[in-house]
Order: sequence, then C-alpha cells, then structure tokens
Amino acid sequence: MNRGQDVIVVGGGVWGSAVAYELAIRSMRVLLLDVTLPGRATSASAGGLWPVGEAVGLGCGVIYHATGNSESGDESTPNVLPDLFRDFLIASNKRFPALAKTLLEQTGVDIEFDIGTGLMFLMYTDYEQAIVDNIARSLPQEQRLKILSPEEVVQVEPKITHELTGAALLPEEHQVNPMLLAEAYKRAAIRAGATFRHDTQVTGFRRDGDRIIGVEIGEEFLPSNLTVNAAGSWSRKLAATAGIDIPVSPIRGQVVLTERLPRILQGCISTSECYLIQKSHGEVLIGSTTECANFDVSVTHDSITSLCRGAVRAVPMLRDVGIKRVWSGLRPGTPDELPILGPIEGVTGIINATGGFRTGIVAAPLMAEIVAQTASEESPTFPIAPFYSSRFLETVID
Amino acid sequence: MIRSKPVAIVGAGPAGMSAAISLAECGIRSIVIDENGGLGGQIYRQSPSTLRSSKFTQSKEASRGLQLKQHFQSFTEKIEYLPNTKVWGVWEKQLAVTGQDGWHLIDAEHLLLATGAYEYVPPFPGWTMPGVLTPGAAQLMVKSMHIAPGRRVLIAGTGPFLLVVANALHDAGVEVAGVVESVRRSEVFKSLPRLLNNFGLLRQGWDYLRRLGRAGIPIHTGHVVVEAEGQNQVEQVRFAPCHRDWQPDLSRAKTVEVDTLCVGYGFVPRTELAQLAGCEVEWKNELGGWIPRVDEDLATSRKDVWVAGDGGGVAGAAVAEDEGRLAGLAIARRCGAIDDNSFRLLRAPIIRRLDKLRRFRFALDNLSQLRPGLSTLAKEETCVCRCEELKRGEIEPAITAGCTTYRTIKTATRIGMGRCQGRMCWPAMARFVASKTGQPMEKVGNRSVRPPIIPITLGEMAEMEPSDAVADQGRNS
Ligand SMILES: Cc1cc2nc3c(=O)[nH]c(=O)nc-3n(C[C@H](O)[C@H](O)[C@H](O)COP(=O)(O)OP(=O)(O)OC[C@H]3O[C@@H](n4cnc5c(N)ncnc54)[C@H](O)[C@@H]3O)c2cc1C
Ligand SMILES: Cc1cc2nc3c(=O)[nH]c(=O)nc-3n(C[C@H](O)[C@H](O)[C@H](O)COP(=O)(O)OP(=O)(O)OC[C@H]3O[C@@H](n4cnc5c(N)ncnc54)[C@H](O)[C@@H]3O)c2cc1C
Repeated sequence: MNRGQDVIVVGGGVWGSAVAYELAIRSMRVLLLDVTLPGRATSASAGGLWPVGEAVGLGCGVIYHATGNSESGDESTPNVLPDLFRDFLIASNKRFPALAKTLLEQTGVDIEFDIGTGLMFLMYTDYEQAIVDNIARSLPQEQRLKILSPEEVVQVEPKITHELTGAALLPEEHQVNPMLLAEAYKRAAIRAGATFRHDTQVTGFRRDGDRIIGVEIGEEFLPSNLTVNAAGSWSRKLAATAGIDIPVSPIRGQVVLTERLPRILQGCISTSECYLIQKSHGEVLIGSTTECANFDVSVTHDSITSLCRGAVRAVPMLRDVGIKRVWSGLRPGTPDELPILGPIEGVTGIINATGGFRTGIVAAPLMAEIVAQTASEESPTFPIAPFYSSRFLETVID
Repeated sequence: MIRSKPVAIVGAGPAGMSAAISLAECGIRSIVIDENGGLGGQIYRQSPSTLRSSKFTQSKEASRGLQLKQHFQSFTEKIEYLPNTKVWGVWEKQLAVTGQDGWHLIDAEHLLLATGAYEYVPPFPGWTMPGVLTPGAAQLMVKSMHIAPGRRVLIAGTGPFLLVVANALHDAGVEVAGVVESVRRSEVFKSLPRLLNNFGLLRQGWDYLRRLGRAGIPIHTGHVVVEAEGQNQVEQVRFAPCHRDWQPDLSRAKTVEVDTLCVGYGFVPRTELAQLAGCEVEWKNELGGWIPRVDEDLATSRKDVWVAGDGGGVAGAAVAEDEGRLAGLAIARRCGAIDDNSFRLLRAPIIRRLDKLRRFRFALDNLSQLRPGLSTLAKEETCVCRCEELKRGEIEPAITAGCTTYRTIKTATRIGMGRCQGRMCWPAMARFVASKTGQPMEKVGNRSVRPPIIPITLGEMAEMEPSDAVADQGRNS
C-alpha cells in the first residue's frame, strides 16, 4: 500500500490503545489519534476487574441500579447482564496475569495488576442478603459467590464495619491501574510499529458513498483503509459526522480519592452505596455515581457527600482520613449496557470499539483481540456478532 | 449550615481588605475569609507584640498595613471577618470552607478572589534537602515567629523580594553570606528609564541595596545557584555565573559554606479557586503564569466572580490594594449601590494610579521574567515532583513517547497526582516540557484543579447533609 495507513484508530483511551496494539502486532500499519478530552473515562476509572461482580450487578452496577438509571428490571434488584457478556468478561479477566507480564517486558510499564482477596459485596440488610442469595443460586457452579458471615468478613478485612449481615465474596476479581494499562498498551503498540499522534482532534470521518475513506482533522485529511471508532463517550458525535448513528451516551461517574494510607484493604469492597479500592500507591478510591449529565464533568456536592458517607459506613476508620481530590469521568454507556463492537451495517471501512460503559477496563483485552481479529479477517476467539451496532436496528424493526 | 452574604471575599491581604472597605463604604456587607489567624495577607502579616517596636513596624510599609487594618476593622457592622478558615471548594455560588468548628457552606451573590501568590522554586540538585527554604518562609520565621532560619544564609533567585528578605534576616541578626541574583547589573541599568516613572518604589529598592552594601553583604548579579550540598542538611551551596538565558557556566562555579539556602524566583498566582469556579484562564508569563482572564473592572469570564491582587497576576502590594478597591467598586455598582456616574468618578483616580504602578512593575517584571536556562538546572536524578517522588529522568521517557501536555504527561508519569495537585511541580515542569519540545506554554497547558484544594477528611464531608447543601442552589451561574 502506498497511500495512507492500513488503519486509523480514533481515541487513545484504553480501548483505542488496546486495539492499536492488537492491530500492530498483526503487522498492520496503525495510526492512533487522540486528543485527551476532559472526562476521558480511562483517566477517571477505578480499574476494578470485576467480571462476575459487574455482570450480576454487585459492583458499580448496584449503584447504577440504586440511582434509577437502569432501564430494565424493577427498582429493587440489581440488573443482571446476559450470560454471554458475563462469559466474555470472565474470559477477558483471565488475560490479565499474562498481559501484565507481557506489557511490562515490552514497555517497562507496570500496570499494577494487584491480586487481593477479591471483590467483597457488603450486605447491611436482610433484603440485600435475599438479593444476593438469589444471584448466588443463578450462577453456574464454577462461579459461585462465597457467602461470609460478619465474623469471617472481619478476618479477611479487619477494617470493615461490624454492622453487617454478611458479605458475598468473588475471589477472582481484582484490580489494575487503568491509566497505566492504557499507557502500556499505547507504548507497546508504538513498539510494534504503530504511530501515535497526541493532541489531535479528529473533526470527522470522510465518507464516500458506502465507504469511510479516512478521517479529517480540520483542513487535513488522512486516508485509511479502515477506521476504528474508539472515541469513548464521544464516539456517537464522531459517527454522526458520517451520518452514522450509534447509541452511545456519556454516563458520568464521580469519584473521591483519599490521601495515601498504609495497606488497610486486602481486596475490593462494594456496597449498595459505593465501592472502595485501595490503589497500589496507597490511596483509597471511592466510587461512584452513575448519572446522565451530558458532557458536564464537574462534581456535585451532594454526590460527593453521599459517597463519603457510604465509605465511612463501610470502613469507619476512613472518617479521619483526608480527601486528596474528587473528580468525575464519562463512561461510554449504551442502552443495553453492552459494548458496541465490529462493523456497521451498510457502511464499510469502519469498525466500532466503543460502549465500554462500566466494564471497559476488564473488557479491554478481549474486546481488542476480537476487534483486531475481525479487522484482519481472522475468526474471532469470542463471538463478536452479538455486539454489532445492528442489534439496535433490529429492535426498531421488530 | 449555610451562611448567606451579598459578597464573599477570599483573602485578607491588601487586595481583599481594600475591596471589603470599598464595599462597606458603599453600604454593602461582605464576608472576608482567610486561612491565617490575622489580617494583612503576606506583606502585612501581623507580627507578635514582641516585635511591635522593631524596625519593621516603624517602616512605611508597616504603617500602611496598620492603616489598612484599622480602616477595615472600623466597619464591624458591614464586614464579617472569618480568620483561620480555609476555602477548599466552589460549587456554583457556594464556597465550601473549613474553620475551627468544622466545615460549612457560604452562599454569595458575588465572589471576589484575592488569594495572592505562591513563591516559585524550580528544581535543582539538592533543592529538597533540609535547610533549603523559600525567602517567604524565612521572612515569616523572623518576622512572625521570631526564629532564625539558620546561622549563615545564602539568598538566591530573582527579584526585589530577595533584597527585602536579606535585610529582614540581617536585621534579625542572621549572618547573610550573600545574595545571588540572576539578572545582570547592566540589564538593571538599561531598564532604569522605565523604572524611574515610579520614583518612590525605585528609591525603596535603592535603600534596600544600600543597607546591604553597608552591612558588607555581597550581591552576585548575573549568577544562579546550581546545587545545594551536604550530608543530611545544607552545608554548602554552589553558584555560577549565568548566560543571558540564565544557563549557568559550570566551569566558573563557586562554593560558599552556609547552613541555609533561601531560594525563590518570583511568584505564581494562586488560581485554584478561580479554576474551580470555572473562570477562564490565560497564560501571561510577565504576570507569573496562568491567570484568570478579566475585564477592565476585574470581572472574570464568570461575571459574578472577580479577581484582585496577586491572585490575578503578580504585581505587588500597591497594585493589589488598588485592584481590591476597583473590584469592590465594580461589585458595588453591579449590586446597584452606586450609579454609573459615581462609579466613573471614583474609578478614574484608581485607574491612573494603577497604570503608573503597572508600568513600573512591567519594567521590573521584564527583568525578572523567568528564562529557559533555569530548566537546565535539574539533573536526571533530581527530584522534580515531591509528592510522587519523581526524578527528571522519569519524565523524559514520557515526552519521548509523545506526551507533551499536562494531561498526557500526568497520565504517563503521575506527576501532579499528589497532594499538591501539581502546584509545586508543574509550573517548573511545564517550562521544562516547553523547552524540550519547543512548544509554547499555552500548548503545554495548565494543571487541572480538583476540590478539595486544601485537605479535608471524609468524616467532615460525610457529616454534611445533602439536603442542606442543595438548599438555595439552582440559580443561574
Ligand atoms: C468513575 C469511573 C469508574 C470506572 N470504573 C471501572 C472499573 O472499576 N472497572 C471497569 O472495567 N471499568 C470501569 N469504568 C469504565 C471504563 O473506565 C471505561 O469503560 C473505559 O475506560 C472506556 O475506555 P475508552 O477508551 O472507550 O474511553 P475513554 O477512556 O473515554 O477514551 C476515549 C478517548 O477518545 C478521545 N477522543 C474523543 N473524541 C475524539 C476525537 N474526535 N479525536 C480524537 N480523540 C478523541 C478522548 O479524548 C479519549 O482520550 C469506570 C469509568 C468511570 C468513569
Ligand atoms: C510568602 C510571601 C511573602 C511576601 N513578602 C513580601 C514582603 O515582605 N514585601 C513585599 O513587598 N511583598 C511581599 N510579598 C508579595 C506581596 O505579598 C504581594 O505583592 C501582596 O501581598 C499581594 O496582596 P494580595 O492581597 O493580592 O495577596 P496576599 O497578601 O498574599 O493575601 C492573600 C491571602 O489569601 C489567603 N488565601 C489564599 N487562598 C486561600 C484559601 N483558599 N482559603 C483561605 N485563605 C486563602 C492567603 O493565605 C493570604 O492571606 C510576599 C509574597 C509571598 C507569597
């Protein structure tokens, strides 16, 4: 090929960076373009790797549901995502130990993959206990939740409140540093031959009939055989420039971060009010709200207050700990909470890698793999068709 | 608990005090919040009674301070003063503050930020060692706490403040080994014609110089400090003549034995609250860096937020005082307390004085403007971010990997993610990145600011009732 790149990836969050890497190691000529916009999900993210926890709604999902944002299901129980997606997340999660090693070897960046005691959902009421019992029964044998008594909880996590009815433990669910994950993917992609252009805002896709032929950066035109839309919450705006609609919308999440502390949490904690993760530098990250606020990335006083209250309830000693800062980020959300991957019906030269919503970190490795496989016409290691954007067309036709 | 006032002023320095006075004279009530225990801000900081009769209190500067404070205190009905209280967040029209009795919100129709400036210290080998401190910190020690910062002190950096501190230390009985000033003598002479337009201030500077001369304290112009050395504490300091861009000529470095090094290269405006309030900022090198964009009456892009004094661009106490006065009048007019005509009449003399003062300052600031040679002082293993303990050598790979802006470098290296939110490291690292990549500072970008700008505990935050917090909100911003 003499003109342009094989592939242009738009968006250098964790999704764009991971896709760029998977494409580059398949010997494609990749150009990764990014402008770091305020609200970039990867920078705001908690970095929890909670495939089952999120799929059954006991991670951030329980808060999502509690705030009444979820469209399906009744108000009182967390939303459960399709089994297929749970399996997808579990498979993706399994890639982290090897991935951390590979990325460290190739780039020197440690993604801080941290194996703790797992994800522990704290139950304060009998009602929560009943919901969890229900969820536990619905899971296949090998993914069973471990139910802990209050005494057992204290043995694992001595700093947790004693005012509990119990907890549900998912032992395989850990955490990573999301920003470093993206950074490591990006550097590994560059090492494998990709080119990265930062501070570059793509103003539109250029379309010629039924084909996307490249991207526009103001006056500049960059041709490509294939364009990947990995622009996170902004991917809908970008697609619209070529007359394509993908239903991605920003779902704001606010976060509180404490000052550095000695190790006080052995694993990730979630409750119906917040979740808590102690990051590898010692700060405890407390998340998160799930709100539709368009592209407004400010923090609100009452949300921050209620996160703090939830955190102090779960871990009372946090009462006297200083807040280092608070922030918010924009999750690329979709109506059915599933990602939007792969080709678009009726348009060639473009592929989606967006809609990571609240599991974009844990999903990134497998997502990037199957998107890159599709782009290079290999058969994907996990079915990708269920994630095509055309699923939204079908519901309209029905 | 929410308190409501027509105007909230953050900072009780010359800018904040004179704004409150202006407002009170127009009949408008305000609340003045300051983290310190006493009025005066940085320059007129209250000195303990033991020092009341010292040389300092007799100086012209101190009497101006005293006058302002008395004037301020005469308006007890109109001005509510909240000392020992920190403002750590801004939500629309509400300020989140913590004082001795926990924290609460203050509601105001107009917000005046008179927050002053921080001292600027670029990293150089040894700068984090005990015994290295800023001139302001040294001054505070002798002026307010009555402690000597060391036995033998070298003072280095740039700007007339170094002379002020050298004199203060000398007066307090500290041995001053010398003053190291990056600007050359010849450059000062060249600027004299422009400096002469404010004879009073120029003579003040001259006095400071003369007194140092009489005390036999050497002034090394055209030199920069290149390294502080010692076992666990400063024992000696190396400084060298510098080129016009302040790059040191290391082959001609000298060593001086001291136990303390005061180093400061001017000031950086404190713009955190303006940024949190969503005011637009712009890069103005001659005013100390990023500052809120203001109109001629000091209103920011958010028309209900105003900025005066060093927090809106470093220009000294005299400018701060007049800016405070101007902002106070402009707010009074906006509130309808004075009509356009009176406003114009009252404003004219202030603008005239400000023009003259600013011309003087610009000539001075032109001299002291930071030059690129300073960015070459840090070595590979020199710490450049104290909170995250990053060395210069850890920043460069990120730049090579294509990160050239605050956001991207922060993501890649954690610089600025510490407690200070980049306050101490980023002004210098931004210059470093700019000189490495050839980009203008505007492109390298400003650090982002998140609440709380002053640490507050989760417990304090959790105790706030959300219903309280949202009451009275929802007005236009
Ligand atoms: C508070 C919070 C907590 C979270 N916690 C978790 C968690 O614990 N576990 C988990 O798995 N997931 C979590 N997530 C979700 C996860 O972070 C996201 O799904 C994931 O980061 C999405 O990555 P992305 O690359 O698609 O989007 P982003 O990270 O937003 O990246 C998109 C990039 O594209 C750029 N861009 C946009 N438009 C353009 C353009 N026109 N030209 C060039 N560049 C452009 C943007 O600036 C941005 O850099 C959380 C999210 C948030 C907000
Ligand atoms: C350390 C230092 C020492 C100085 N010493 C001298 C000197 O000796 N002689 C001289 O001519 N010039 C001196 N200057 C410069 C001089 O201070 C300024 O030119 C002048 O005081 C500016 O007045 P201002 O009102 O704008 O700010 P300041 O006098 O700095 O007053 C601002 C006040 O706001 C307070 N504040 C800021 N943010 C918050 C917050 N979030 N919450 C609560 N309170 C807040 C500060 O603590 C401070 O008291 C000094 C500057 C500094 C930084």
